[in-house]
Amino acid sequence: MNMAVTNIGRRRFLKMLGSASVYATLGAAGVAGAQTQRYGKLVDTTRCIGCKRCMSACKRWNKLEVERDEMVTDRETDLSAQNWVVVNLRADAKNREERTYEHWACQHCIQPACAGVCPVRAIIKLPRGNVVVNEKKCIGCRYCYQACPYKVPRFDFVKRVTRKCHLCYDRIPLLNYMKPACVAACPVEALSFDYKHEIILEAKRRVSKEKNARYILGLKEAGGTDMLTILPARPQDLGLVVAPRKVVNQNLDKLRITGAGFMGVSGLAGLMYTYATLTQGKNKRDHDQSD
Amino acid sequence: MINQIKKHLDLILNDMERSPAFYIWVSILLSMVAVAGYALLLSLIYSLEIFEFSIHVIWVTMVSNYVFLVVSSTGLCIVTSLGHVFGMQRYELVAKRGVFLALITIIFGMISIGAHLGHPERAMVFNALTPNFYSAMWWMGTLYTFYIVFISVEYWLLARDELKKRAEQAEGVERTIFGYLALKKLDDSRLGAVLKDHKLLQAVGAAALVSGLSAHNTLGALFGHIEARPLWYGSYYPVYFLLSASFCGFAWLLAVSIGTYKLKREEIPEDYMSLIFEMAQVLALLLSVGLLFTVYKMGFGLFTPIKVKPIMLFLKGPFSIAFWLFEIAIGTVLPIPILLYAVGRRNITGVLVASSMVLVGVYVMRYDFVVAAQIYPVIKNGLPSYLPTFMEVLFIGGVLGALFLTYTLGAIFLPLKEERHGHTA
Repeated sequence: MNMAVTNIGRRRFLKMLGSASVYATLGAAGVAGAQTQRYGKLVDTTRCIGCKRCMSACKRWNKLEVERDEMVTDRETDLSAQNWVVVNLRADAKNREERTYEHWACQHCIQPACAGVCPVRAIIKLPRGNVVVNEKKCIGCRYCYQACPYKVPRFDFVKRVTRKCHLCYDRIPLLNYMKPACVAACPVEALSFDYKHEIILEAKRRVSKEKNARYILGLKEAGGTDMLTILPARPQDLGLVVAPRKVVNQNLDKLRITGAGFMGVSGLAGLMYTYATLTQGKNKRDHDQSD
Repeated sequence: MINQIKKHLDLILNDMERSPAFYIWVSILLSMVAVAGYALLLSLIYSLEIFEFSIHVIWVTMVSNYVFLVVSSTGLCIVTSLGHVFGMQRYELVAKRGVFLALITIIFGMISIGAHLGHPERAMVFNALTPNFYSAMWWMGTLYTFYIVFISVEYWLLARDELKKRAEQAEGVERTIFGYLALKKLDDSRLGAVLKDHKLLQAVGAAALVSGLSAHNTLGALFGHIEARPLWYGSYYPVYFLLSASFCGFAWLLAVSIGTYKLKREEIPEDYMSLIFEMAQVLALLLSVGLLFTVYKMGFGLFTPIKVKPIMLFLKGPFSIAFWLFEIAIGTVLPIPILLYAVGRRNITGVLVASSMVLVGVYVMRYDFVVAAQIYPVIKNGLPSYLPTFMEVLFIGGVLGALFLTYTLGAIFLPLKEERHGHTA
């Protein structure tokens, strides 16, 4: 099993142990602190070499099937129930010579549209940032796929549930001991994993150092995501799915649309009542005739 | 035993129902159901992939069939509630047939969506245990469950008098069955008096209408909420679904009731005949309003940048034949003059043809509505065409076959005829 073990050191370990006991004592303070403990994944596509080791590590850790020739470099792959992470070669529409490998997976939105529409709350956003599908609860309706602005959750026709990247929620809770499988496998540090505020700073630092203009995907898209991607061009120029720069499927928006429908319902009831009142005489005539 | 059953059936069946044509009709429907059962079994043994194979166009025929059937059910509930909820006595004639049709369409709609879901058994459990109040799908499922209960009680209340009469006329086992179906024993109790009261029927009818319309609204909202699908997104569909439910309800009732009378070679009662022509006029009016809605949708879509591409799929793309021929011509425009002509000439066949055309048009419209919206934004260059799988077609055929088979049996054994019910108003 590919598990990159980070040497956290004696000092850091003691520090964590100490802070854990403080959080346990203070209780509420621990909950407040959880907000700053959200993790994020940073993808630097300008560093990616397209080796697809992230794909293979993901498949090994999550026990996913490998299709024939899937791991061949430059072979186009699509997200699926067995492919939670894909690496594809993309050219910039404005500059065809500039080609980069795009590492693509669930963006782990801060306010995920998929979790908002799931009728049975099978998809949840964990405090650490992971958007996770509970496969034992999923009813297989695929509403999450329709609602996702990036079209990430894919349906497994055999297991009859939706599956997607969960940012290795089963690895990272171990006191930052292990990174997600894909991050740990990356040989060129194109992928990194840290606290969310740290990766935002790191992404901005890297972009400011570059001579060419770079785009950070995930700062505003879909209301902000816990996976940030440094792109060499705008996502639409690279042929990636473009999400609006706001929270998708806000509850207020849902309320507005449902409310409009209920106005329609009351309008229809009003029309039915009017029809009944206006043609009341007809009932009497029919009755008289039948008598 | 077989002879006894034969004797009973001989009393119930009329000439047409003893003819070979009737047996052929029932055998066709039964074989459709059997084939669908085989397809469902295969999907359970192997994979759901044999029904819906595309990972991009993930909601297909099962969903469109479900939408068509539940919209029809709500429409039928709207039409029948004109009678015993809004007090239009002439509409009470169609109450039994309408409510029975509403009941079976919603049930077979649910079967259709049950086959689409990966785990329908979990849906029932977790809908109750861990509800998500922000999800339109949760509301839809819950409200339709209430609707099914109300509409079943409504039909039972409507049919109770007739069932009691049949129990009195019959002998032996049949007498016991009809006696239990009508809960005859309750008659002497206080509950029996409540059951006879028209107000109870009115209250149950109102509950069915409210739950049905609310569920229907959340069905429209289910699509309307999805911001990632430009064609569905917005408040247009929750409202349009209500309108289309209304004309679907009238079309179902007209097509099925006239069809039944014609096939049974029975004469249509005079007071129902005048109601048929009135309903045909209302249907023509609703279709014209529906046409205005479609024009608005297309016009508005062309001026909204994100909606242009999906709208163009209908106007000039792979869905143009389905849109122009089925949705516009067969489903909306042509039936209007046919209905008006039929009303003017008092031609019952014209009404039957026009209402059947509306149903065909609406069925195709539902399929387009579900499939075309899923093409953008993922499938970049649009979809040349999308055909359902063979197994999918077999299953949907079986669902519709089972629906017609249930109706055929209902038309023989249950009280559905256009007669005023015996409740004291």
